[in-house]
Amino acid sequence: MHVRQTSNPLLKPCSWVWLLLLGLTLVTFSLGELGFDGRGTAAVVLGIAALKAQLVADHFMGLRAVAGFWRPLIFIYLVLVAVGIGLAF
Amino acid sequence: MRYRVQILCTSCSTPAMDSAANSALVRPTHPPGDLAIWFFILAELLVFAVFFLAYAWTRHANVELFDEFQLTLDRRAGVINTLALLTSSYAVVRAVAAIRSDLRRACVGWLLVALMLGGVFLLVKLLEYQHHFELGINLRTNIFYMFYLSLTFFHFMHVVMGMIILIAITFKARRGAYSPTQHTGVETGASYWHMVDLVWLILFPLVYVMR
Repeated sequence: MHVRQTSNPLLKPCSWVWLLLLGLTLVTFSLGELGFDGRGTAAVVLGIAALKAQLVADHFMGLRAVAGFWRPLIFIYLVLVAVGIGLAF
Repeated sequence: MRYRVQILCTSCSTPAMDSAANSALVRPTHPPGDLAIWFFILAELLVFAVFFLAYAWTRHANVELFDEFQLTLDRRAGVINTLALLTSSYAVVRAVAAIRSDLRRACVGWLLVALMLGGVFLLVKLLEYQHHFELGINLRTNIFYMFYLSLTFFHFMHVVMGMIILIAITFKARRGAYSPTQHTGVETGASYWHMVDLVWLILFPLVYVMR
């Protein structure tokens, strides 16, 4: 499939974010494969998950460039979900 | 789309600086796409949050059972699906950038890449379900599988919905319905697709990794 390249300067950070997201996913997977468990591991895995979700919201959804409450709203949502899950582990 | 101008420093600027500063500091007050989809996204995020917390706190009361049956899941399938959804989301970012640059064919191409990766996700998930069903596992097997099957199937249906939206956008983009100045439909579909990705980024570690 032939896909032309675009010259949008905003794409470069998104490309780096995409690679970072892939890398963080492999870190999470490796922690599971190596048998890490317990509260410390749960905290690290949850932190990585929340960071990845915020990166998607900021860069892929474009909330980083939006004024107002949208970005803080997603941030608060992720913190509350992570804390709520973390307390159960 | 409405814009709000933020002027950070007016006391130390010249008229020329004001003009440059104004153009640099203009930020949209609404996220990309139709505003209605964002209220829908927020509602969806709340529903998934309830699901996640219900899973975590039910596990809290049944730690041994959840840890035992979590080992029956194929973590490799989970990571393949995570990589597929992330890359699909990135392809949608490229599609939006392409239409903003008036590259209609590139937009269609990237949307097709996103759809193909969405298809990979569905295929891998269906193979996982087939494996479980062949072993006689269903919603009534135990509380872990009740959560695993219902939570992942709920997300699965969102992927299907997202792909239907992306297919509709692809057809419209192919017909030339979008332009650099009018592409709200592409942004709206993209926002929904990113939400489906975002939710999976929490679901995957919660169900497949954390123990």
